Amino acid sequence: MSSTSQKHKEFVAEPMGEKPVNALAGIGEVLGKKLEEKGFDKAYVVLGQFLVLKKDEELFKDWLKDTCGANAKQQRDCYGCLKEWCDAFL
Amino acid sequence: GRPWSNPEAQEDPAHLSKSRLRSDLVSHNVELPPAGSKKEVYLKLHLEHVDQGNAAGFSSDEDDQVLYAPGGDRVDTKIPDPTALSDKDLKDLLLKYGVKAGPIVASTRAVYEKKLRKLLQSDGNEGLNEAETAVLYSDSDEEGEENGDLEDEKESEEEKERINEALELNQKQCNEHLQEPVKNILKDLIPEAKTTPTGIYVTPRRPIKGAAQRPILYGYPDTPVSPTTLERRDVERRLVPIYVQILVFFIVLYILYFISINV
Repeated sequence: MSSTSQKHKEFVAEPMGEKPVNALAGIGEVLGKKLEEKGFDKAYVVLGQFLVLKKDEELFKDWLKDTCGANAKQQRDCYGCLKEWCDAFL
Repeated sequence: GRPWSNPEAQEDPAHLSKSRLRSDLVSHNVELPPAGSKKEVYLKLHLEHVDQGNAAGFSSDEDDQVLYAPGGDRVDTKIPDPTALSDKDLKDLLLKYGVKAGPIVASTRAVYEKKLRKLLQSDGNEGLNEAETAVLYSDSDEEGEENGDLEDEKESEEEKERINEALELNQKQCNEHLQEPVKNILKDLIPEAKTTPTGIYVTPRRPIKGAAQRPILYGYPDTPVSPTTLERRDVERRLVPIYVQILVFFIVLYILYFISINV
């Protein structure tokens, strides 16, 4: 079994639809609020940013850190979550 | 003559060492930035204050003065300011460093600028030989930078070669690294394998979950499923183990009760 969290599994199991941004793995209340303030109020908006950065790991993690102050683990979780979602549905 | 046909004055400030820049500034009565400043800061000041007086001073080629306009459009200078670049120029410059950037839009601009800065810094700080020049280019080391001056000139020529080589090397290394884990995985999978004459011994495989008559208890669905279906699956998955646990619990209770009665 992989070391992904329950949140990750739930997110990658289905299309994200209108899920809020804190449905993303690695994004809790605090980070979610910061992202919402910057206009990233839904998970799909963060997905948009992920895609526009061409799914590049380093760039996305940097962006996440700069935008909401995510630490390395949170960056990793969020990136992994979105990447797997894209692999399944995009 | 100079190794590359660059229509610049003989002493392009970007190619001067930091201590040289500093002494130039002093000789032009320009106030120095704080001691720990990077070469960029000295260079900027140099461009602003010193190069305006260049007509009288340095270059023997008077035609070349045009190029000292600050923030010029010389993309081949080592230290352009990422913020001042156009979207297209930023993208092109990143491409030069082997970074295939995506669209430079409002939300991505900052990240790409940051990346370019990192690349420019590391390019300015490292030379041909990273080990050597790491020492030579350190801000605190004055003596080393005199030598670094010469390294600078050779650098831009071989820079491109170096980048290509590095990319090739990187690819080779990736291939090598890929091979190793594959060999090791086999050993890891079968740690208890006895060695036979052929060296291969495999134990029979456990039945695959999801094969006939072994329903998948948990797994990522291939197609999108409605939330209710997932909830139901979730509940089903959990019921069985808990049910067994409760049963075992009562059995144990009964046994203990039975024992305590008979004591």
